Amino acid sequence: MSEPILRVADLSVSYGRQRVLHGVTLDVEPGETVGIIGETGSGKSTLARAVLGLVPASAGSLRVDGSDVTRFSKRQWRAFRRRGVVQYVFQDPLRSLDPDLTIADSLIEPLLVRGVARAEAVARAEELLGRVRLDPDLLGRLPGAISGGQRQRVAVARALITDPALVILDEPVSALDAANRVLVLEILRELDAALLFISHDLGSVAGIADRVAVIYRGELVEDRPTRELITAPAHAYTRLLVSSVPTLRSATSDRAARDELRALLSA
Amino acid sequence: MLRRILTLRAGRLAVGILLVVALLAILGPWVAPDVPTAKPLQSLSGDHWLGTDYLGRDVFSRLLEGSRDSVLGSVLVALVALVVGVVPGLLSVLLGRVFEWTTLRLVDTLVALPFLVFAVAVTALLGNGLTQAMLVTGVLVSPLFYRVTRAATLAVAHSQYVEAARISGASIGWIVRRHVWAKVLPPIAVALAQTIGVGFIIVSSLTFLGIGVQPPAPTWGGLLASDLNYLHYRPFAPLAPALLIMVTVWASNLLADAIRDVSGAAGRALVDARKVAAR
Amino acid sequence: MTALAVRDLHIRDLVGDREIVRGVSFELTPGKVVGIVGESGSGKTLTCRAALGILPEHFVVSAGSIEIGGRDIAGLSDAEWTGLRGSTISAVFQDPASYLNPSMRVGAQIAEVIRVKKRASRREARRRAVELLAAVHLRDPALVYEQYTYELSGGMLQRVLIAAAIAADPAVLIADEATTALDVIVQAEILDLLADLRARAGLALLVVSHDLAVIAQLCDEVLVLRDGEVVERGETADVLHEPRHEYTRLLISEHEQYGLDKYLEAVDV
Repeated sequence: MSEPILRVADLSVSYGRQRVLHGVTLDVEPGETVGIIGETGSGKSTLARAVLGLVPASAGSLRVDGSDVTRFSKRQWRAFRRRGVVQYVFQDPLRSLDPDLTIADSLIEPLLVRGVARAEAVARAEELLGRVRLDPDLLGRLPGAISGGQRQRVAVARALITDPALVILDEPVSALDAANRVLVLEILRELDAALLFISHDLGSVAGIADRVAVIYRGELVEDRPTRELITAPAHAYTRLLVSSVPTLRSATSDRAARDELRALLSA
Repeated sequence: MLRRILTLRAGRLAVGILLVVALLAILGPWVAPDVPTAKPLQSLSGDHWLGTDYLGRDVFSRLLEGSRDSVLGSVLVALVALVVGVVPGLLSVLLGRVFEWTTLRLVDTLVALPFLVFAVAVTALLGNGLTQAMLVTGVLVSPLFYRVTRAATLAVAHSQYVEAARISGASIGWIVRRHVWAKVLPPIAVALAQTIGVGFIIVSSLTFLGIGVQPPAPTWGGLLASDLNYLHYRPFAPLAPALLIMVTVWASNLLADAIRDVSGAAGRALVDARKVAAR
Repeated sequence: MTALAVRDLHIRDLVGDREIVRGVSFELTPGKVVGIVGESGSGKTLTCRAALGILPEHFVVSAGSIEIGGRDIAGLSDAEWTGLRGSTISAVFQDPASYLNPSMRVGAQIAEVIRVKKRASRREARRRAVELLAAVHLRDPALVYEQYTYELSGGMLQRVLIAAAIAADPAVLIADEATTALDVIVQAEILDLLADLRARAGLALLVVSHDLAVIAQLCDEVLVLRDGEVVERGETADVLHEPRHEYTRLLISEHEQYGLDKYLEAVDV
């Protein structure tokens, strides 16, 4: 098998004295979709930030696309990022797109930064808009003039413009309405790139993730194929998580089990 | 940017007035009528349009003559403050902790310095003249620009789109040009307009101490100050220099407001809406 | 007796001159739970606000009626509304922190409700407030009583707000996206708590959410609201099994294709 696109080995991250991630080990193979699930403050977003070089690792190592990025300097990071191997999609596209720049300008930024000519970049942007089901007319508009669902698809297109091998998505559908959630998930499912899909909501990840890793209080407590994790969760936290996700079936039967697990975890 | 400003009526008015002031500054000393000294403290007349001052000099020609130093002085103050304040203000947010700490302490020091003592000390070191005096003044008002720029940059620098640019490998220069500049320009423009106004007053108050412009060379602020001493004899006299200063400052503020109105996405929308309305 | 009856409610935006809500009807009897599902902007929050008499500035009820405890609310005076809110109808919203005073201990804020609404003594109000904090499953209620909003998590704040909302024993509690901002596990805790309150106190609940699954957890009856109109309504089980409207089908298929349901159904069979 080829080398994993992302190899996280025994990674720890601390903010000052506070340890946010502790001994996390995780591989992502090319083309694979991995869900990272955890509650607010569990450290799941810190994992993403570490992979992007936005926070330094205090221990362990990170390999992205065959390069050991753990000890990269600022300059090395900048050069590495310009290759566009890893891209990132934020939760809220209204805040992740510059309100003063047209959609076209936002879309092509990753290419312009690399020194690609504007005309070539715009041509590529037009081509990508089709893939995220958007009209090329949108290119001249400002982010404030299009809908939330369109904005998030613009953000996805922006992430794809460098043909990345790994796309990290942080709650990419949480801010969208039902129709756009389905649409964005559909688009994501078609991608060839490996996806690291971060969410607090197992429900939004379950449909497209091949594997789900659960982070609880800074530690990776379970990392298994999605179906296994949902049908036979092992760790107490995962069990509580699975029984807490609202589903269309009435869940009153799970009530006793939930109460038991809550007592267990808070002990 | 200028084209967008000109779509606003206030913008056109401001640019128009400032052009006239600039013209006055350039041509003033040349066109000033060379009127011989006459009886002091005369009222308005055909010979002396704005009367004469306490030494019998023609006020109108002194106003024209003084316009170059006055305008040049205050523009210089603003420019110095812009360079010394805005650039470190931007970089203090984007360049990292060490630079941030250093500039913050420097600015604290500047704020704590007594203005006049500093001015006297620097002219003693660099020599006396308009340029030196204005450099000093510019440096001393630069903390205002530093703070305004820093505050505006802080709000932008922690935004997700700046982070997104960084994740794409953008350099600090790119981030400033592409994302930060348009957002910090409006507050800077407002501060600049204020500084131009303050500049007129400072030029004249320094003249009082014999720093900068040397009497009998006239400035607007200087004329205003000396006229105020003879209010009893010529009560209307301070009106002319005061009006000139007021109109210039007002036009600068108007321009700053116009810049604020037309910058950013909201500004573009405003301009577009006006174009549609005009059709 | 009906606790809350909304009949053919229309709400008009006077500034935009449009009807935002067109013909919403439902009835709540003690112990019953009705759910409204819809996107933001569908009119669900305006419907709640109309029932609470707190419509925003330029919105008015343009047709239809609302009855609380058998009493038509049209033409109620401010004083009558004050008597009604809290003691008959009460509500919790998405962002609990903004409904609490950050400079006051949270317990004191609940006690204040009890003192005003129940005319209880200071000591009695305090005792009741601690009881209520225990009733919303907060561990160590006496400690929480003494805390300020910034010391509590989002889930704890929502519980505090629920405690304040039920302090004066209302007949109806409206939960408008009350769990939207919370993590899944905390959301389940709050939903379980609401189910308890309904079972224990016979509270009638109006649950509003954009997530059909949240509604499915709790509600006997569901209304699907889209662009101000009820596009589907019925017993929850019926709507889930035989959705008639295309939008309801989208909501269901989202869960079946992308949600946990995809795996759970396989287990059932």
